[in-house]
Amino acid sequence: MKEALKKIRRQKNLMVGGVIALLIVGVAIFAPWLAPFHPIDDADLMHAEEPPSWTHLFGTDNQGRDILSRVIYGARVSLSVGLVCQGLNSIIGIMLGLTAGFIGKRWDDSVMALTNIMLSIPSLVFALAIMAVLGPGLLNIFLAVGLTNWAYSCRVTRSQVLFSRSLDYVQAARALGYSQARIMFSQILPNIVGPILVVATLGVAGAILIEASLSFLGLGAQPPTPSWGGMLSTAREQLFTAPWISIFPGLAIFVTVLGLNLLGDGLRDILDPHTTRQRR
Amino acid sequence: MKEVMRKAGILAAGVLLWGIMAGEAAAQRSGGTFNFCAPYGGDLSTLDAHRSPAAQDLLVAMNIHRSLYSWDPQNNSPKLELGERVKASSDGFTYRISLRKDIKFHNGRKVKVDDVIWSYERIMSPRTASPSAPFVRVIKGARDYEEGRANKISGLQKLDDTTLEITMDRPLDPSYTLHDAGAAILPREEVEKKGDAFGLDPVGCGPFKFVKWVKGSEIVLGKNPDFYEKGKPYLDRLVYKIMPEGASRDIAFRAKELDATLVSATQYPVYKEDPRIAKNMVEVAELFTRLVGFNPKYGPFSKKQVRQAINYAIDSRLIIQKLLKGKAFPCVGYLPSTSPAFDPRAKGYEFNPEKAKALMKEAGYQKGFSFECIGTSNESWGVVVVEAIMPFLKRINVTVKPQQLEGAALADRIRRMDFQAFIWSLSSGAGGDPLQALNRWHSKNPSTAGNFVGYRNPEFDRLLEIAGRERDLNTRLRILRQADALFREDAPVWFFNYNKAVVAHQPWVHGIKPVAVEIMYQDIADVWVDESSPRAREK
Amino acid sequence: MSGFPGDQMLAFALRRILQFIPTILAISLILFLLLNVLPGDAALVAAGAQDKGMDPRYLEEMKKLWGLDQPLHLRYLTYLKNLALGDMGLSYLRREKVSALIASRIWPTLKLAFVAMLIAAGIGIPLGFWSALRQGSWLDTVLMVGAVSGVSIPQFWLALLLMFLLAVKLPFFPAMGYGDGDLRHILLPAFTLGVGYMALLARTTRAAVVEILSADYIRTARAKGLPQLLIHGKHVLRNALILVSTTAGLQFGSLMGQTVIVEKVFSWPGLGSLMVDSIFQRDLPVTQGCILLIILVFLVVNLAVDLLYAVIDPRVEYQ
Repeated sequence: MKEALKKIRRQKNLMVGGVIALLIVGVAIFAPWLAPFHPIDDADLMHAEEPPSWTHLFGTDNQGRDILSRVIYGARVSLSVGLVCQGLNSIIGIMLGLTAGFIGKRWDDSVMALTNIMLSIPSLVFALAIMAVLGPGLLNIFLAVGLTNWAYSCRVTRSQVLFSRSLDYVQAARALGYSQARIMFSQILPNIVGPILVVATLGVAGAILIEASLSFLGLGAQPPTPSWGGMLSTAREQLFTAPWISIFPGLAIFVTVLGLNLLGDGLRDILDPHTTRQRR
Repeated sequence: MKEVMRKAGILAAGVLLWGIMAGEAAAQRSGGTFNFCAPYGGDLSTLDAHRSPAAQDLLVAMNIHRSLYSWDPQNNSPKLELGERVKASSDGFTYRISLRKDIKFHNGRKVKVDDVIWSYERIMSPRTASPSAPFVRVIKGARDYEEGRANKISGLQKLDDTTLEITMDRPLDPSYTLHDAGAAILPREEVEKKGDAFGLDPVGCGPFKFVKWVKGSEIVLGKNPDFYEKGKPYLDRLVYKIMPEGASRDIAFRAKELDATLVSATQYPVYKEDPRIAKNMVEVAELFTRLVGFNPKYGPFSKKQVRQAINYAIDSRLIIQKLLKGKAFPCVGYLPSTSPAFDPRAKGYEFNPEKAKALMKEAGYQKGFSFECIGTSNESWGVVVVEAIMPFLKRINVTVKPQQLEGAALADRIRRMDFQAFIWSLSSGAGGDPLQALNRWHSKNPSTAGNFVGYRNPEFDRLLEIAGRERDLNTRLRILRQADALFREDAPVWFFNYNKAVVAHQPWVHGIKPVAVEIMYQDIADVWVDESSPRAREK
Repeated sequence: MSGFPGDQMLAFALRRILQFIPTILAISLILFLLLNVLPGDAALVAAGAQDKGMDPRYLEEMKKLWGLDQPLHLRYLTYLKNLALGDMGLSYLRREKVSALIASRIWPTLKLAFVAMLIAAGIGIPLGFWSALRQGSWLDTVLMVGAVSGVSIPQFWLALLLMFLLAVKLPFFPAMGYGDGDLRHILLPAFTLGVGYMALLARTTRAAVVEILSADYIRTARAKGLPQLLIHGKHVLRNALILVSTTAGLQFGSLMGQTVIVEKVFSWPGLGSLMVDSIFQRDLPVTQGCILLIILVFLVVNLAVDLLYAVIDPRVEYQ
């Protein structure tokens, strides 16, 4: 009975998370059709800082722009950062893991040492350090966040490589002259898809949070581009006089990250029940 | 009868005496702790007055140190501070100052003319790299000293221990520059003993002594019992709480943790509506002009019609009202309304989008163009304002792209004229001398020294030169008004606003004044709190 | 295992501390490279921060003062040498020693992190435990959804919400600032900081407890008729804590990272806000120093967690 209940609950993770994720992706893609106003050009100072109403469901911000529209368009920034950065992280991680596993020896030791060091540096701090050098801007955020989270992908890939190399039939294939590349494609990659997907899903969530934090500090997308973190940053001053400016962008971040985390958890339960828990 | 009369007389005298004493009680009361805010940043960088131009540092430093002159907010002009009297020569070049004889540094030593000379030489020394150098450079021989051609400043003559003769390099009253808090008189032995650490543990001759600095949190000062103004300071303790966020200052003020606070744009309308707070607010039109500067080297901006069109296209009043919540004065020209050469009858650029379109057509830019405007994250004169003007400029087909930079980076690019347009707040007061204020735009003044838009107008220069030679004040002001009008007509910038600085204080606080150079430059020696303060008896 | 266990533990700790050194070295190298291969002249940046004109003599002075006229590898070696002595250089903005600056700001951060940890562990672990005991019930579901939410919520948003609700609408707490370092001022920021970690601990604890409850030796104990409380207390809790502490140390890293955001929002005068300010002011020596310190704190906490682990589980071999 308990087992059955557990399974159902986990299905729920996947379901709820998947729905939310799809919703956000849909909002990002169909933003121009969904948003009632233009997020930048429809600025009417006469109606600045108005509370939610039927015309402006989320209210207006300090420049008189519709918050609902800006939140909808903000999904584009957040999602693109999440996907691109995690993509970059995964590629780096997989490359390093593959090479570490195959080449071995000194290179493997170096990669492992580097991985351990990366795990000692909190990702937000590392991203901040990179932003300190590069300066503010969305492009720099792609780079900064894209370099912070490759450690887990690397480890997973490397373990899989080492495991595969020890298998009998793989060794036989090597003896027969099959190239490394072929082994890699036929053995390794299919087996890492599952764990990597889990890591990636959770990684997208993490990337979105880091981008939001950096934008909140003023290092992210430049005004007037709508980004959830950036909107929260400018809303601080009006927190007590116009709280709706802070509530909705934050809610958007929360729901998106929550959905992705649920999805990631659900995927892990199905694809990879034995991994240690991913840290945030 | 005589007995009754006598008794009545004594009674009357007693009543009179009591009345006088009660009246005295309504006057300044000594004692108490005053919690003020340091609102311009996350922390101070130094309390060495020679080492920082930042308002955040000087607003505290000015209460620890004293300069030769100081700013008199009542008369909106500088006045003699450490001197008893000053005698000017007829040609306006030489000034003989008699120092007060009762000034002591916090370490007990008396202040002498040697200290004044040493302080100014320290400011001019290249090793100090002091941002206060421009204030002292106007003294004859200061440049030679700075560039190593002399080992003392020839324009500073010590006649005796308390008499100093200053010779300027132009007929300018030294009070116009030497009143700045950055030109303070410091004790040589303390600075030499502590070196760079002097900024963390300063010694001055001002009304308050340094007690402690809790990094990132607050600075505590204590009463100087040997201050030369007898009876002052009234307060026993002065605490500056470092609070850059308007919202946190608001909460602290309402919770009565702050005795006085700098009001930000968001709180301004709320405070104005609150009857309890509204009557304890001090407002002043600060001597700062906020503007967007155009780089004439960037194609469209070389045409006057384009620049004027932009001025007509933007509804500054609406932006001030809605974005800044009414906490600014709409701009007429460069000189702010508290400047003596401000022309109250002049008209600025009114909101006229039709005229703007016509001008753009005339200039051949009907199709419009785009430009990049750099600024800081400041909520009153930063990138938010650029965002606000975007829809207005769209209507004349001009697209503006904001770029947010951090303070020092912005200043650097502006000085090098590495921009298409910038938005900033310029100090337009120059110690209350409109000639100095307008001199910024003289063609001989390079961008690195303040002429950020590279303004070159020979007629404008000529007017300034005539004004400089004119000794009659009224004629001078008239000429300067003409110059200001010329500048306005040329529209080298978009005129945005003059700052309305507002300080709100608790009902038990007395002595906060409208200081036009920078409202946070409050001389706390004049501030006192009455019995109703929760900190009235705190030492 | 011979010898007094205390000695063993001490040796273990010392060995781990020695392992810090290569990690710190590597990190300092990475940071140094990152922050010193700036586009543009570092001296100009330093000079610009002091708001001085482009006087070439002044620039030369600045260069000498910060050793910027040396080639990169020499600068790194000098930096390391000074670092060993505890000298992290001079701030660009105010010619103060970075080490002094950091020393004056580190205590609030340590306090904040410590209280946040207490809150996180004090609430998170019991909740996870409870949730596992009531596995499958609606309470379990609610708590676990809460836990995922805790991990997903943006800290700065939570901070603003809490500030709005608990400091403005209902004035229970002071909204910002350090105050006198008293409890009222620290609770709100510490709670905000701890929420994410609390959620992580709750989830990890729950998973650990669930796994243990289904283990054989528990079934055996139950079969033997031992009282539930004893079973839970002795075996389950201890083993659960062991499992939790394997990852707790690592997860703490995210808490240290979040101090940056929380300190900024609550105007908390600690290392995090110093770091953010220094980034905006381009005061690179300070940024470098702050990051090093934050990582050092993280490593120390990790060590403490490992020692705790060793204390709880006497089967651990000190290698």
